[in-house]
Amino acid sequence: MELKLENLTKTFQDVEAVSGIDYTMKNGVYGLLGVNGAGKTTLMRMICTLAKPTKGRILCNGQEIWQLDWKYRKILGYLPQEFGFYPEFTAEDYLRYIASIKGIPAAAAKKRVDELLVQVGMEKYRKKKMKRFSGGMKRRIGIAQAMLNNPKILVLDEPTAGLDPNERIRFRNLISELSEDRLVLLSTHIVSDVEYIANEILLMKEGKLKQAGTAYELAVGIPEQVWVCRVPRERAAEYEKRYRVANLRTLPDGVELRLLAGHAPAPDARCVEATLEDVFLYYFGNRQEGEGEQHAVL
Amino acid sequence: MLYYELKKVFTKKGSQVALVLVGILLVTAVFLAVKGVSWTEEDGTTHLEGYQAAKKLKEAGEAWYGPLTEEKLSAVIAENTRVNETPQGQSQDVTQSNIAYSWKQGFREIREMLNRSFGEFRSYDYYTADALKPADAACFYSNRIKNLETWLASDEEKDRFSEAEKQFLISRYQELETPFEYQYAEGWKQLFEYAPTVVMILMLILGFLVAGIFSGEFQTKADALFFSSMHGRGKASRAKVEAGFLIVTMLYWAVFLLYSLGVLGILGFEGADCPIQISGAGWKSFYNITFWEEYILIAVGGYIGCVFMAALTMLVSAKTKSSVLAVIVPFVLIFGPSMISFSRSVVVEKILGLFPDWLLRLNQCVGMFYLYSVGGKQVGAIPILLVLYGVLAVLLQPLLYRVYRRQAR
Repeated sequence: MELKLENLTKTFQDVEAVSGIDYTMKNGVYGLLGVNGAGKTTLMRMICTLAKPTKGRILCNGQEIWQLDWKYRKILGYLPQEFGFYPEFTAEDYLRYIASIKGIPAAAAKKRVDELLVQVGMEKYRKKKMKRFSGGMKRRIGIAQAMLNNPKILVLDEPTAGLDPNERIRFRNLISELSEDRLVLLSTHIVSDVEYIANEILLMKEGKLKQAGTAYELAVGIPEQVWVCRVPRERAAEYEKRYRVANLRTLPDGVELRLLAGHAPAPDARCVEATLEDVFLYYFGNRQEGEGEQHAVL
Repeated sequence: MLYYELKKVFTKKGSQVALVLVGILLVTAVFLAVKGVSWTEEDGTTHLEGYQAAKKLKEAGEAWYGPLTEEKLSAVIAENTRVNETPQGQSQDVTQSNIAYSWKQGFREIREMLNRSFGEFRSYDYYTADALKPADAACFYSNRIKNLETWLASDEEKDRFSEAEKQFLISRYQELETPFEYQYAEGWKQLFEYAPTVVMILMLILGFLVAGIFSGEFQTKADALFFSSMHGRGKASRAKVEAGFLIVTMLYWAVFLLYSLGVLGILGFEGADCPIQISGAGWKSFYNITFWEEYILIAVGGYIGCVFMAALTMLVSAKTKSSVLAVIVPFVLIFGPSMISFSRSVVVEKILGLFPDWLLRLNQCVGMFYLYSVGGKQVGAIPILLVLYGVLAVLLQPLLYRVYRRQAR
């Protein structure tokens, strides 16, 4: 399975939500990381044929997805960011209905629904109306519906939004389980959602693809280093203005800062290994004052 | 898919309430229609309604059933005069008058026809028949045509119709088969009386039920999933069109047939083959049809009207993604025309005569003189309404499908 994005652009009036993206994805988990408004959802909607590109095209195994039409949607599974459902339907009814619009014959659908309800841990709630479900339960039904047709391409838009930490971990593991032999594109603005499960991470900012690679490649690829240093409490604000500060921990004798800088920001600063969170901070975080690079050692 | 589309509609609380309202509407309409038949006992104080009244009326009228010949009309005039000359007929006392009236009930519908035939075209006087002599019966049928001719030539109406239209109306009057076949037909009359109310309220409820079919996915934010699925822009969208059509068809015919069976079952099916001109509402009609034929027209017309209005409701719902806006459509279509009928200009009247609200009250349309020239021939509004909105209702179905599919992008 290969999904190729060629000069993919989407303009809404005079705003470019997605701007000239070129990228090719094969089987595996792709994490699409970016702040809110970066264009992740628009990109995913185009991949799911819900929005037509203003420019460029998307090819699935070499064929334009809009021309493939239903043949493409047949192999597609999608969990949208705003996951709509029919409140009066039970979980089972809902999945059976989605199975029918996905073209799964009734007998096969029944079996598949049973399997997936077990897989997402919702078997005992199958007869319960969806309007009574918690956010986590709805998301689990959401992933089940996306998996009904055993899709070759699985698109998950902010699947962990609104979940508590436990649910997020469970959900991450579930996605990992489901990711074999298919292309999974997972968008999020929560770094930890993709850090451990994504084979490749795509960083999107202002509609553009800023960087792509494995978590390690991205971490070693940032032109600044990550430093940990201790400074007096009254100078913390000054550091926050000058550097991208990833973390600030208050100690009895001052504050410990984790920050990005081209040089050691303080005499006792020690260089540490960059994580995906630092990468995120580098590309998406702002210093509190302006954008200009400050390398002065304080 | 169709099953789940129907399930989406009928699992909503609002829809369940709407179905209960349909049940209430049905029971109320049958009750009111049946209650509309009355009978006064010979004591002048006991009044019956409904089934018992209908039964008495049937029995009392038996002597007068059959072709309404000159002899029979003379006999009615003579009998009416005889009753009027009795002490009870002469009395000013209400009870005594009621006793006299009770003796006339067997031929009261024929007496009503005499009032219309011997009165002026646009006026009604209950006592006209009392002034008649048996010999006047000879003019009964010719009067109907003469009254029309006089009315068409009057200052008030002479410019309203073209010569061709006047000739058409007169020829239709002349073509009506006489003598009329007369029989008890209270069941049909009462059925027609409340049919528009039933169909109009039913249409408003149908509008409410179908308004959410096409906007539901957008309101619940399930549209992304729906349209990204294999059949979302194909079979699943078609299933929505089918669901709307099925809801309207099933509910309409269920209610209409139950209403018909309820009223006719209680008041009687008799009179189906009588011309509608034996009733007050049909006396002036230029549609030479029987009660049974009018019933078919009302039923089919109501159905076409409901399918058309429901399709338009769904179209608005699909286009605007809002069921609130869509649910207003039937209100506008049903009540809108009456708000713009401020003018009596011929053109405005002709345009209003082709509005779809008439389909829901064809029994009233039967009595209207809306005429249109089609290919040089004069045609009444009813055939045009049936064909025009029948075609539009059919054309709206694929249009609905296309409009909804397009919302995917």
